Amino acid sequence: MNKAERLINLIAMLLEARRPVTLDRIRASIPGYHQATTASFKRMFERDKSDLREMGVPIQVEPVDPFGEEVGYHIPKEDYYLPEIEFTPEEKVALFLVNRLSSGEMIPLSREARSALLKLSPDLGDGSRLGQPGSLHLKFSAQGEAPDDMARLWKAVVGRRTVRFTYRSLGNSEEHERFLDPYGLYFERGAWYVVGHCHLRGDIRSFRLSRMKSGVELAGGCGEEPDFQRPADFRLEEYSRILPWEFEDGAEYTAMVRFGPRMAWLVERDLGEVYRFEASGDGGGILEVKVRNEDAFCNWLLSFAEDAEVVSPSELREKVCKRLRMILERAGVDADA
Amino acid sequence: MPMPDLAARVRRLLSLIPYVLKHQGVALSELSEVFDIPQDQLLKDLHLIFMCGQPDYSPADLIEVDIDDDRVFIRMADYFSRPLRFTPSELSGLYMACGALVKLSGLPSSPALLSAMKKIEKVLDMSLPAEVNIEESVEVRPLSPEHRILGKLSSAADRRRVVEMEYYTYGRDELTRRKVHPLSLEFGMGHWYLRAWDEKRGKVRIFRVDRVKDLRVTRKTFEPVPEEGTGESGPYGAAEKGEIEVRLRFSPSLAGWAGEQRLFSRVEEEGDGVSCILYTDNLSWVERELLKYGPQVEVISPPELKRRLGDRARRLLSIYEDEV
Repeated sequence: MNKAERLINLIAMLLEARRPVTLDRIRASIPGYHQATTASFKRMFERDKSDLREMGVPIQVEPVDPFGEEVGYHIPKEDYYLPEIEFTPEEKVALFLVNRLSSGEMIPLSREARSALLKLSPDLGDGSRLGQPGSLHLKFSAQGEAPDDMARLWKAVVGRRTVRFTYRSLGNSEEHERFLDPYGLYFERGAWYVVGHCHLRGDIRSFRLSRMKSGVELAGGCGEEPDFQRPADFRLEEYSRILPWEFEDGAEYTAMVRFGPRMAWLVERDLGEVYRFEASGDGGGILEVKVRNEDAFCNWLLSFAEDAEVVSPSELREKVCKRLRMILERAGVDADA
Repeated sequence: MPMPDLAARVRRLLSLIPYVLKHQGVALSELSEVFDIPQDQLLKDLHLIFMCGQPDYSPADLIEVDIDDDRVFIRMADYFSRPLRFTPSELSGLYMACGALVKLSGLPSSPALLSAMKKIEKVLDMSLPAEVNIEESVEVRPLSPEHRILGKLSSAADRRRVVEMEYYTYGRDELTRRKVHPLSLEFGMGHWYLRAWDEKRGKVRIFRVDRVKDLRVTRKTFEPVPEEGTGESGPYGAAEKGEIEVRLRFSPSLAGWAGEQRLFSRVEEEGDGVSCILYTDNLSWVERELLKYGPQVEVISPPELKRRLGDRARRLLSIYEDEV
């Protein structure tokens, strides 16, 4: 007997029942149960019941006699049935797009979102029922992060649970086990990060999910109490917008960088909301950049080659020169030739 | 905890039955698309539904399933006329997905999405548990700089209008003007990509939306080309393209980074660093990548790249030294 079939029959019976159904009647009625011995039927039923409850099926228990000696089961229709919702064509299109985004499993709880959308599907129909399916050419490709880890991390953030994972940071070939009080998840430039209090570093750190070398596990107690409290002044968006050259130690200072007309528009589009950009007449302009990590800054700056130049401070100009001389040395070319 | 496949199947069945009840005579192909399953699995599902019903499971008690000329009918299943209500996790998931869609696309459909969510909340009389604050727990960085261009391209694709655009080609390091027929837009790896027919090249090409400097939607309309074999297949197929083989060696501190990049066809550990190979038709973008990683990367071959990198670094150095 197929278990899916048994579960569907059980739901059907408990939904239609006018009064709570006793175990004896369930056993006598449903194929798959009545062949089983009493003990194994009870085990099967308990498991089926908990599986269904986990799926959200509202199975209720009520006494069937005035003395409460025997109980019966039923599913109240009003708790089971999703009410009908009428969507406009525009709303349908928007929800189709949400479905596409969820199919790529690029955000936490995508499977749950998909499952919610399947429940709405009778009211949504498919795209072909819409006359002018605007915006339906938008697509989303899959992300690489493990959906289970994303879901577990998100639940740990919300439930304030300490997690444990093995991590290999960039520029470090060794893997370390990390214990983290996760404060939030963020998606930035195509990758997911979790930010929180790192027990190893004793400070707030971000971890890229793709660099975790093990699955994420809960590491704290299993009681009702949360493992930690998130600091009241923690703001997720302050961490999600940190640029590579703003990371790490070192004093922060402002650098002025001139961009030529070929590239200035691209830089302004990318960073114009973060930094002050002053356009000059020729289509170029000067960007005020916050710098902490000079190496990371040089990486970014030099990717623009001749289209970007540090105007000030002179120490940073000197740093760029040093970097260029090292490249020349590596290329086996004499700097003064 | 139920086995994942079983739970997924039961969930699907509980929505599949009401779908058919509401849309009697629906095509097998539509069901297969909406429920995202191959047709043989769909037929198995329908067969299973046919075995279910009310006690005593006599023919009069069973759900009736008819497949007539690829059209599906279900009767005698009024108790499954509606799907199951949402679980709290499903509502959270839906909220998160809606939020991400708005942040990533900044779509014109955002108001419709918000009104759809309001309806759902109201009709379900359900809201998130108090401790669940989606905005405080998950942040998808908005791609607002791209939204304006994305919106124009999206509406041009809707109306099948030819677009004239100025585009920065990273591979050639040049700005070019092109006339394109926008076909679709795809988000992946943190960026939006436009798939469009390029008039001059006579091919479908992939363009990164944030590299479109400016664009004009013309009055001219186009008929979309048949999609097969018309050009590039996916947005990020950087590996294995082009005739020039480039070999690079990264120092240990960048080894981890190199392993994460998609542009390399091969990455091999070598000592404590890594050696990487990529294929390209054009060296100018490789030069820029090399400038970026400066002392941490060494060019093994071709010699021409080594020379060009040296020239470029010297030219850059002169900009700084002249003024010192």
